[in-house]
Amino acid sequence: MTPNTPASAIEITGLTKDFSLNLRGVKLRAVENLTLTVPQGEVFGLLGPNGSGKSTTIKIILGLLEPTVGECKVFGVPSGRVDSRLNVGYLPEAPYFYRYLSGEELVRFYARICGVPKKVLKDRVREVIDWVGLTGASHRRVGTYSKGMLQRIGLAQALVHDPRLIILDEPTAGVDPVGSAEISELILKLKKQGKTVLITSHLLAQIEDICDRVAILDKGKLIVEGAVNDLVGLRDRQSLIVDSLPPAELDELRGWLAARGHVLNAVEQPRTRLDQLFLSKVSRPKKEGDSQ
Amino acid sequence: MNTAFPFPLSGRSVPFSLGRLGIVAGNTFLEAVRQKLFNFLLLLAVALVASAQLFREFNFGSSELKFISDFGFGAMVFFGSTLTIAATAQLFFSEIENRTALTILAKPIWRTEFIFGKFLGVFAVVGVFCALTTILLLGLLYHRETALMTANPEAFEAGRIIHYGDLVLMGVLQWLKFGVLAAFTLLIASFSNTNLYTVVMGFFVLVICHLQYLARDAYGSVASLPLRLLVQLLGYIFPNFQVFNLADQIGIGVGIDAAVFLRVAGYALIYIAVIGALAVYSFRNREI
Ligand SMILES: Nc1ncnc2c1ncn2[C@@H]1O[C@H](COP(=O)(O)OP(=O)(O)OP(=O)(O)O)[C@@H](O)[C@H]1O
Ligand SMILES: [Mg+2]
Repeated sequence: MTPNTPASAIEITGLTKDFSLNLRGVKLRAVENLTLTVPQGEVFGLLGPNGSGKSTTIKIILGLLEPTVGECKVFGVPSGRVDSRLNVGYLPEAPYFYRYLSGEELVRFYARICGVPKKVLKDRVREVIDWVGLTGASHRRVGTYSKGMLQRIGLAQALVHDPRLIILDEPTAGVDPVGSAEISELILKLKKQGKTVLITSHLLAQIEDICDRVAILDKGKLIVEGAVNDLVGLRDRQSLIVDSLPPAELDELRGWLAARGHVLNAVEQPRTRLDQLFLSKVSRPKKEGDSQ
Repeated sequence: MNTAFPFPLSGRSVPFSLGRLGIVAGNTFLEAVRQKLFNFLLLLAVALVASAQLFREFNFGSSELKFISDFGFGAMVFFGSTLTIAATAQLFFSEIENRTALTILAKPIWRTEFIFGKFLGVFAVVGVFCALTTILLLGLLYHRETALMTANPEAFEAGRIIHYGDLVLMGVLQWLKFGVLAAFTLLIASFSNTNLYTVVMGFFVLVICHLQYLARDAYGSVASLPLRLLVQLLGYIFPNFQVFNLADQIGIGVGIDAAVFLRVAGYALIYIAVIGALAVYSFRNREI
């Protein structure tokens, strides 16, 4: 990294976006006075209910939409400029690609647009397709892909030019729990390499597992922003998990705690989470054999 | 990730690149091929040959040949214009409607490269159509001329009467004309919201381009001042497609003057450049 690299990957200041709905000047405010900084090297979650302006914010970051007010910089470069997108990979929500290309042709097309050098092109395309587990289907037309496979090939094209910032708009929508766990793993791997990831998702459990920071939007306004640990950690509580404790000993334990002035707040039957059950029962597809 | 794989991408400026433009054009052409647009072309070509065969029985000598050539170019202009407008609108809106434009424009690519890439892709498709129909027409004429020569050799004492080279030039000019039409359609598409609107407006432009000279002749001197100004204004904005019909006697009789050909070709290229630039300007402000 060059010394003049700015500290933050994305810097949004005072951003407002209005859409005009008709010619009479009726406007819809999709994002309102948003100020947000995404530090480099972190996984940042952008959360919010449907229609809260997450995708709109992302499109402004990518220069696909012009801000009405305010500005947005990517690695210090204003996001309207073409060179602000050099180091950015983007997976749109509900992606849909050129259906007449095969998976491999599609990734190669985007790689060439991004200027991936010719001599590494072929290997690089194979490599990213392998990461997302689509090697077995890479020669099929994208038009025949399932929803989850489209997300995966979209992820491959977002990563093919080795960007420093990866923006994923609902990467796990329509992906099965196994695939979704794989995407989580992939994101953590990217983080280890020092990449910055901006992700939106409605799977809050997943966001909680992988994100360092989150911001929550509601009706276009930022309502919460901070480190995940600060936001959800309950510092004054602990939980103990004990194997098959007889009721008599539980009472004893309660008494022991009471004698020391502590209260046993709850006794629960821990359950395995449904997604963990799913993951343990469903065979993980080998990468090559994915989807035949 | 493979650590031996850093690209020297960061901190670069992004110059305009003909390479990227070509990649977009190639992909657009490939879409036309794979979405079976060319089957439609083939069908047109076959229909053309078949209908021209119907006029075999005339046997009018050279006037039959002229008829075939006029008919052939007439069909080429009609089907070619339809194809140009439909293909331009379709190949542009497939990107918008399928939201693939979102993904590609989020890459380091200039919108100029995108628009001109789309244009070149369409231009190549139309070029294939023009080449195909011209070749077919030439084959047909040659075949007919040979037959007529053996039937009544005295009419062909001076050898073959068709200037095949001129016919090729005519084919090239039609192609350039379709290029102007494609640029116009792209300009409309760049700000319009639907495919249908684009196609309808495209045909509107086509009609104006073909008929404006009539209006100029009819109203140029007699009509009231505002109407005259309007007609003149249309004449400045829209190209006159009539200039692409270099000879009434297409391919037969007087040949095509090289200087005139170049002038008309230049006329087309300038129009393509200007209209294309306007399309880029309007597309730059489009929200994807
Ligand atoms: N092109 C547009 N024209 C008009 N309104 C738009 C446009 N794009 C988005 N909007 C509006 O802006 C608001 C924010 O939309 P946005 O897509 O950013 O929401 P989101 O947070 O991504 O929601 P979701 O979770 O459903 O993806 C919505 O009310 C939407 O209707
Ligand atoms: Mg969204």
